[in-house]
Amino acid sequence: MPKDRFKTRLEIAKNKILKKSTVSNQSSSSKLGAALKLSTEMVAAVVVGTIIGFILDNWFGTKPWLILMFFFVGVIAGILNVVRSAKDMQYKD
Amino acid sequence: MAINPMHQFNIYRIGPEIKLGEVDISFTNSSLFMVISSLAILILFNLGTKKNYLIPNKIQLLAELSYGFISKMISDTAGSKAKPYFAFIFSLFMFVLFCNMIGMIPYSFTVTSHIIVTFVLAAFIFIGVTIIGFIKHGVGYLKLFVPSGVPLVLMPLIVIIEIISYLSRPVSLSVRLFANMMAGHTMMKVFGGFVISLGIVGGWLPLSFSVALTGLEILVAFLQAYVFAILTCIYLNDALNLHH
Repeated sequence: MPKDRFKTRLEIAKNKILKKSTVSNQSSSSKLGAALKLSTEMVAAVVVGTIIGFILDNWFGTKPWLILMFFFVGVIAGILNVVRSAKDMQYKD
Repeated sequence: MAINPMHQFNIYRIGPEIKLGEVDISFTNSSLFMVISSLAILILFNLGTKKNYLIPNKIQLLAELSYGFISKMISDTAGSKAKPYFAFIFSLFMFVLFCNMIGMIPYSFTVTSHIIVTFVLAAFIFIGVTIIGFIKHGVGYLKLFVPSGVPLVLMPLIVIIEIISYLSRPVSLSVRLFANMMAGHTMMKVFGGFVISLGIVGGWLPLSFSVALTGLEILVAFLQAYVFAILTCIYLNDALNLHH
């Protein structure tokens, strides 16, 4: 029966596509994107932490202390960001 | 004349000066290239979707490919709940991609090499995602800043760290795109300047570098648009499916 044969062939082809899409889910370009992502993640948190410290210092008039504290909190947040996105990448693979 | 490698980033006014109160809203070369990229996207998709051939021609294929690419990216990273936001992410990706790619044409202007442009895009995404999160989860969205299983003593410090990490999202998003575009274009200009100053004898080495860099820059232009869109999806995913 030609119709039956067509159905089985369709089934085989569909399975092939399914397998392909699950195997090559992560293309090489998205891996490169992930690598570029990590570098700025760290810097941004430090910058934001320092800016918050600067603003709060101006508010409360405690000139050097809050900016110092928030700088280090920013560094911690940056490391946390990097670890987190690295973990996300591991899950995907 | 344009030996200075930063000269390409100059913004100048085209046409008359327009002022809205104190703010200068004149039409600049930056606005011109934004209009050009938007028009290019409109033309591409108008041509691509005008006649729906069963066997697509080249432009239709391009339009369908980009649609499928973004649609797959959204369902992979943010799940089916993010489908209503397809239009926003698609236009965002297309705009950034076209701005980057049109910037690769010699004598053109790269809109995304200015941090104010990328920061406005990122801030828009950040505010939008935060509003979506509060609409979907109410006050429960603040749970994002309070990870479960943390001892009470450490809680204030952890909450501050989480808030800084959340606020750093638009900064990292915008700085990444802007820095990549600006660094790449400056590098290309510097090598181009070497070709001129070394002349016909020694200019061949920087010229070959320039050619290689052009290829690299086209890759970076695509990749940065992709990263911008995929990070938007990830932030949207955080707002829609609240979990840690």
